[in-house]
Amino acid sequence: MNRQVFEIRLGTAGEVVMVGRLDATQCEAALRFLNGLAEPRVVDLAGLEYIASAGLRVFLMTQKRIKAAGAGLKLINVAPQVRDIFRYAGFDRIFDISGGGA
Amino acid sequence: MRRRTTVPSDAAQLAVVTQFLQEFWRAAELPPAEARTFELALEEIFMNVVMHGSPAGHEPRIEVSLEFCDGKMILTVEDDGPPFDPLSLPPPDVTASLEERRVGGLGVFLVRQMMDDVSYRRTGKRNRLRSCKRIAPPATSAERMKH
Repeated sequence: MNRQVFEIRLGTAGEVVMVGRLDATQCEAALRFLNGLAEPRVVDLAGLEYIASAGLRVFLMTQKRIKAAGAGLKLINVAPQVRDIFRYAGFDRIFDISGGGA
Repeated sequence: MRRRTTVPSDAAQLAVVTQFLQEFWRAAELPPAEARTFELALEEIFMNVVMHGSPAGHEPRIEVSLEFCDGKMILTVEDDGPPFDPLSLPPPDVTASLEERRVGGLGVFLVRQMMDDVSYRRTGKRNRLRSCKRIAPPATSAERMKH
C-alpha cells in the first residue's frame, strides 16, 4: 500500500477536493492546480490526512492571491489532526475553517 | 527500540525517511494517532537541511535515528552540512494579518509546539537536531487480547 499518495481535483459542485498527504514534495503540483483556477472558493479537506508547513504555504499563497480580488477560501470538513496544525500556525485567524460534521 | 538510516540530502528522499518512520511506528506498536506529530517533525527538519544545508559541490548526507525508550520517543536528525541552528531563527508572528504572513520559520515553530523538547548541537562537522516527546506506552499483546 502506498502511504504517500496525494490527490487534488475538482468535486461535483466545483469545490476543490484534496485527499491524502500534502507534504513538501506535493506542494508544487497542488499550487499549480490552484493557480489554474480563477477563483477557488471551497476546499473540501475531508480526505486530507496530513499537512506540514510546506502545505500551509500552498493555502497561504492561494489566499493572498484571491483576497486581492476580494474573495477568500472556505476550508470544510477539516479533520481534527489537520485542524490542529492550522490552529498552531495561527491560520484559524486568516481562513474560514470548519470541521467534519459541523 | 532503536533504528537508524542514512540518505542523501534530496527532497525525493522525504518519502523514504517517512516510510522508515512509519515502519518503526508499526514495529514498536506505538499509537497511530501520535505518528503524524513525528512525521511532521521529520518533514520540517529534513526539508530544512535539504533547502538550507547544501552548499555547491557538496551533497550532505542526512542520518535519521529513532528511539523509543521509557515512554519517550526521540527523533534525531544529523547532517554533515555547514553549521546551521534552525532554533536560532526568530519565531514567526502567527497573529499577523494575511498580507504580512510569511511561512519562513513556521516549520520549526510547529515542531517546537508539538514536541516536549527540541535541541540543537554542533558536534565535529555535524549538525544534530534532537526532538523528543513522551507518548503513551504501547499496549502489550496481552492487553490487546482483552479487547
